[in-house]
Amino acid sequence: MAETSQTNGSTDMPADKAAILELPLEQRDDIIVCEGVHKWFGDFCAVRDVSMRVKRGEVLVIFGPSGSGKSTFIRMINRLEEHQQGRIVVDGIEMTNDVRNLDAIRREVGMVFQQFNLFPHMTALNNIMLAPQRVRHTPRDEAQESALQLLERVGIPEQANKYPAELSGGQQQRVAIARALAMQPQIMLFDEPTSALDPEMIKEVLDVMRELAASGMTMLCVTHEMGFAREVADRMAFFDEGALVELGPPSQIFNNPQEDRTQLFLDQIL
Amino acid sequence: MSAAVATGAMGRPPPPPPMTVGYVGWLRQNLFSSWINSLVTVVLAAVLAWAAIGLISWVIVTADWEVITSRVQLYLVGLYPQEGTWRPQVAVLLLSALLGVSWRSWGGTARGFAIGLSAVALIVGVIPHGLQPLNRVLVLAIPAAVGLGYLVSPRLIAGRPRRVVAAALLAIFVGLLLIRGIEGVPGLDPVNTNTIGGLLLNLLLALFGIGASMPIGIGLALGRQSNLPVVKWACVAFIEIIRGVPLITLLFMSRHILPLTFPENIKIDTLYITGITIMLFSSAYMAENVRGGMAAVAPGQTEAARALGLRGWQTTLLITLPQGLRNIIPAIVGQFISLFKDTSLVFIIGMLDLVEMGRVTIQSNLEFVDNGREVYLFIAVVFWIFCFSMSYVSRRIERALGVGRR
Repeated sequence: MAETSQTNGSTDMPADKAAILELPLEQRDDIIVCEGVHKWFGDFCAVRDVSMRVKRGEVLVIFGPSGSGKSTFIRMINRLEEHQQGRIVVDGIEMTNDVRNLDAIRREVGMVFQQFNLFPHMTALNNIMLAPQRVRHTPRDEAQESALQLLERVGIPEQANKYPAELSGGQQQRVAIARALAMQPQIMLFDEPTSALDPEMIKEVLDVMRELAASGMTMLCVTHEMGFAREVADRMAFFDEGALVELGPPSQIFNNPQEDRTQLFLDQIL
Repeated sequence: MSAAVATGAMGRPPPPPPMTVGYVGWLRQNLFSSWINSLVTVVLAAVLAWAAIGLISWVIVTADWEVITSRVQLYLVGLYPQEGTWRPQVAVLLLSALLGVSWRSWGGTARGFAIGLSAVALIVGVIPHGLQPLNRVLVLAIPAAVGLGYLVSPRLIAGRPRRVVAAALLAIFVGLLLIRGIEGVPGLDPVNTNTIGGLLLNLLLALFGIGASMPIGIGLALGRQSNLPVVKWACVAFIEIIRGVPLITLLFMSRHILPLTFPENIKIDTLYITGITIMLFSSAYMAENVRGGMAAVAPGQTEAARALGLRGWQTTLLITLPQGLRNIIPAIVGQFISLFKDTSLVFIIGMLDLVEMGRVTIQSNLEFVDNGREVYLFIAVVFWIFCFSMSYVSRRIERALGVGRR
């Protein structure tokens, strides 16, 4: 566990961060920088030449047809997929094969999956405590205390000692969000967090995400919840066939899309 | 329901519904639903009754159990010296006490086994047959040991369930030490391991195999997935070579070919070398079970662990391995059962296990030459009790771990 200068920098963040979040979006620093990013699966080009910058505290909603590379793109932000060309820099750390960089980035970036991926052999509480204890070496009592606070924050403190199979889908996803937050990440990635949920459970998860966005978390959300996007997103990114087709504020995307393909897709889903 | 009542009120009353509850209902539905089913039921019942009556009357009246009762010691411990037979019996007492401890702490399964064991011990202890007085007392002491374990249980555990595991390992270690003997301690002279036979031999070999094949098998399974080519190919080679050769061949080779490669002045203990052979054989199969169990864990689990920043080895030890092992409990127990039965193959290298002891008894004693049925029925029942216990316990474990599985 190399304590790199980057991670030391981020521990100083809270004071800094509050100040930065006071600034309008355009004046904040870039927390994610992608330049000419490509990814192939065999001969298939899943992500082609994507360049974008995400500001600290920004909420970016990514949408597009299935197979458009949007999931692959956010999975590259914490290197669940490797990019094969181009540059990705996360909070000043260049994404390389260097294990120390990778460790540092994984500490910065939390991820929530479509299928929750909670560990079924551990209680909700232990799911949340695992990474702080094993990766950050937080003492048990401290980890437990903050895990309980997180469960409180996502609204299910009474489910602490239940196993994932005993929870509803919405509750599982909220535990999964708490689990990712336990590592105190700077950035949260959401990969279709509500797609596996019943309609009445979607709201409880979106409420947690709204609260998170309001707290100033940088969020990249792959989702088709257009109501959520309109209300919460600072910008929206439309992906099609692996390429970033259009990037702009919700007002532009919904009311005045610059690309025909964006308009076509929105016509189909709205 | 109300619709049926309404039509009944209008016209003829509907016929009463066929009886589907209780014994009579069950019989009618399952065994006498048509005349041909009824015929089959009656004929089969007659055949079964005839067979059962025949077997029971044979066991009670015709069979001559002298062949078992006069040689209990041979079946249980083989040629183990008579003056030392108290040592394995004390080992049994230690395990009985442990069972009592588990009974107090977990009830359920352990209680059933504790009561069953005590009952068998009492029955065996009071039947008049050729037991020496000391041995008889030690058999009758089994219920007392269970009771003692039950009484000291709260104090031993004292809120730390893991102490039971420590106590179990200690009891097994002390038991093995007692059976083998300790150099220079009067009354505990080391025995010649070649004298160990009968059920004790089957149990010792199975214990070796079961105890060691878990950790070695897990190690091999992890090694097979290693990124280091040397480790990976060594594990693959070991697994495939061992799995490709029959156990009997391995036993032969360990007994007759391996010693040729050793210096002449080193004497190889057959019991140990056989135990190691069975252990390695079982490990290779265990490795493949473990690998399969881990492969069945959803890929999302590994991704979630990596996204949280866990290292590769942490992901394996904390996420994939525990879930993988839980996936394969039935396969593991199946392997243990088959391993226990396979220990009777050691007759091929001249060891006198329970089955071989039975065969020798029949063939070398003129007065027992017609008692094969008694001997093999006895052996079958002994093996069945152990194997059934294992599968029963495994089902209970599965159910207990089922919480939160899916």
